[in-house]
Amino acid sequence: MSLLAAFESLSASSTSGVLLDLSAVVMLLCAFAALGSKLFDRYVAYYALQSIVLSLAAAVVAHALGQADLWALAVLTFLIKGIGIPLATRRFLLDRLDLRRDVAISTGLSTSLIIGAFLTAFAYLAIRPSTLPHALVASAVVPLSTAIILLGGLCMVVRRHTIAQLIGWLILENGVFLGAITLTATFPFIVEAGIFLDLVAAVLIMITFVSGLAHRLATAAAPELRGLRH
Amino acid sequence: MTVLVVLVPVLPLLAALSPLVGVRARGLGVALAGGGLGALGCAIAVAVQVGRHGAFHAFSGFIYVDSLSAFFTLTVALVVTLASVGSIAYLRTEEEREELNLLQLRLYAIGFALFAGLMLASLETGNLGLLWVLIEASTLASAVLVGLEAKASSLEAAWKYIIISSFGVTMALVATLFLYYAASSLSLSPNQRLTWPALFAHATLLQHDSLRLAFLLAVIGYGTKVGLAPMHTWLPDAHSEAPSPASAMLSAALLNTGMYAIFRFQAIALPELGRYTNHVLLVFGFASIVIGALFMVRRGNFKRLFAYSSIEHMGIVSVALGFGGVLGVYGALLHTLNHAIGKCVLFLTSGEIVHRWRTRDATKVSGALAAAPIAGGVLLLASLAIVGSPPFGLFLSEFTIVRAGFHGSSPLAFLLLALLVLAFIAFARTTAAMATGEPVESEDATAPQSVVAAIPLLAGMAALLLLGVWIPGGLNDLIMHSIGAIR
Repeated sequence: MSLLAAFESLSASSTSGVLLDLSAVVMLLCAFAALGSKLFDRYVAYYALQSIVLSLAAAVVAHALGQADLWALAVLTFLIKGIGIPLATRRFLLDRLDLRRDVAISTGLSTSLIIGAFLTAFAYLAIRPSTLPHALVASAVVPLSTAIILLGGLCMVVRRHTIAQLIGWLILENGVFLGAITLTATFPFIVEAGIFLDLVAAVLIMITFVSGLAHRLATAAAPELRGLRH
Repeated sequence: MTVLVVLVPVLPLLAALSPLVGVRARGLGVALAGGGLGALGCAIAVAVQVGRHGAFHAFSGFIYVDSLSAFFTLTVALVVTLASVGSIAYLRTEEEREELNLLQLRLYAIGFALFAGLMLASLETGNLGLLWVLIEASTLASAVLVGLEAKASSLEAAWKYIIISSFGVTMALVATLFLYYAASSLSLSPNQRLTWPALFAHATLLQHDSLRLAFLLAVIGYGTKVGLAPMHTWLPDAHSEAPSPASAMLSAALLNTGMYAIFRFQAIALPELGRYTNHVLLVFGFASIVIGALFMVRRGNFKRLFAYSSIEHMGIVSVALGFGGVLGVYGALLHTLNHAIGKCVLFLTSGEIVHRWRTRDATKVSGALAAAPIAGGVLLLASLAIVGSPPFGLFLSEFTIVRAGFHGSSPLAFLLLALLVLAFIAFARTTAAMATGEPVESEDATAPQSVVAAIPLLAGMAALLLLGVWIPGGLNDLIMHSIGAIR
C-alpha cells in the first residue's frame, strides 16, 4: 500500500521525522512550562504556543503524506487552538474576572514538576518503541504525546482554579491530537472535523459555565465548589 | 430503510427548531413530545426491519444498524418519549411559577432535542470515530440542561459534569486511536479500520498490546459516561441538579449509550484478549455496585439516592457482561431496558414530588400516597421495581444475571446477591418513608394531579409490569439476535 510507503518517509531519520520529533519535544516543554507557571497570562500563552507548534507538526505530516485534509486540520488548529481559544480565554475570563496570579496549586510547584518528570519517565517505560509496529512514524512521538496527555491530566488535578483546569484539559487534548496525527494520519476527515467541532463547543460551554460561576460565587476556584458534598 | 434510520435521530432534532418559530412553553413541550413519539415509532420499525433482513449499512459504514444498535435505539427512544412527555408538564409548571425565563425554557427545548437526537444518532453509526464524536456532542448538549437553572449549585454540578466527562471521553478517544492502530497491519482501508463490522470480522488478527490498551482505556473512558466507579463522581451531582425530565434522560438514556460503546469494544476485544475483558468488567462492575449501595444508605436528597441507584444498576449490567455467556449478555441487555424504564419513571416522579413539596430532601417528604395518590403510588411501586422485587421486569433480569453467575459456578454470584439485598434495604427504607406516613399540610402537595404529567408515569409502570410477567416474542428475538451480533 502506498500509504505505508508514505509512512516510511516519516521514520525517525528523515527530515520530516526529525521535524516531527522536534515539534513533539517543544510541545512537551510547553506542557512543563504551563505546569510550572504562576501567572495566568503565561499559562494561557504556553498553551497557545503549544497549539501553534502542534499545527506545525500537523503541517509536517500533511506535507510528508501529501494529504489535503491534514493541511486543512493544520490551518484549523492554528486558527482555533493557537489564536481563537487563547484569545477568547483571555478576553472573556482573565480580563473580565481580573485574574492575574494563580498560585493555587494543591501540591506546591516543585512537587508538581517532579511528579510531571515521573509521569514523563512513565510514558517512556509504558510505551516502548518495541511495542509499536516498525513501519510507522517517528517512534519517539508516541511516548512524547503520551507524556503530554499525562501532564495535561496533572495540570487538571493539581491546579485549583476552574480556568486552569480547562487549560489543562486543552493541553491533554493537544497530546491526543499529536498522537492522532502521527499514529493515525489517515483518520476519516469527517471524524477529525467532528472531534474539532466538539472541542470548540466544549470550550465555549465551559467558558460560559466558568463566567457564570464567577458571577455567582465571586470566585470560581474549584475548592470553593463544595456545595454539593452530600 | 435509510430514510427510516435517519428519521430516528432527525425527528427529535427537529424539535430544536421549535424555539425559532416563537412558541411558548406548551408548544415547546408538545414539539419535544412529538419528536420523541416519532423517533419511537421509527425505532420500532427499524427494529422490525433489522429483525427480518439482518444488519443494515449505508454510507460506507457511517450508518450501521444491527440488532444490538436496534435494541439500544429502541430503549433510548422509549426513554426519550417518556421524558419528553414529562417535559410538557415540567415546562408548563416552570412557566407558571416563573422560575425560568423564556430564554431558559427555549434553551431547555434546544438542549433536550439535541441531547436526544445526538444520542440516537450515536447508536446508529458503525464508525467508532463518529460514535465518539456523537457521544461527546450529546454530553455537551446535556451539560447545558444540567446548568440550566443557573443557580450556583447547578452551575457547579454542570462544571463538574463537563470537566470530568470531557476528561473521560478524551480517554475514550485515545482508546479509539489505539484500536485503529491495532488494526494497522490488516489490509483494510483507513475508513474500514474504524468501522465496526470490519473490525469485528478481523478481531482475532488485531495487534495484542494495542488492543489491550484500547479496551482498558475504552472501559475507563466510556465508563466515565456510564458512571462506573471510581469514575462516577460527576453523576450524583448532575442527576440531582438537572431538571427532572433531563435527569431521567441522563440516567436512563445517556448511561446506556456509554454502555453500548463498552458492549462494542468488549465484543471486539473478546476473541483476542479472552477472559481478561470479563475480569476488567467484573472489577469495575462490583466497585460500582458497592459504591452505589453504600451511598444509598444515607438518607437525604432523594434525587441523589436515585442517582446512586443508577451507578449500582450500571454496575450490575457491567457485572452481567463480565459473567458473560449467552445468559449473562441476555441478562445485561434485559436489565438495560428494565432499568431504563424504571429509572425514567422514578426521576419523572421525583420531578412531580419536587414541584409539590418544593424540596429534594427525603426527610421532609412524607405521606406522598395520601397527598398525591398517583405520584405517591408510582413512587412506591417504581421503587419496589427498581430494587428488583417481583412482579416487575427488574426482578426477572437480576434473576437472570445471578443465574448467569451461578452458571459459571462463580462465587461472585453470592457477592452480587448479598449486595443486591443491601441495595434493596437502603433504597426502600428512604422511599417507603416518603410514600407513607402523615402528609405535610400544604396546598402544593395536595394539588390536583395533572393528566399530562401522569401519562408517562403510568405508561412506564405498565411497561415494567408487563416485562415482569411476559417478554414479548419480538423483544426476545431482538435480544437473541443482539447476542448473536456480538459473539
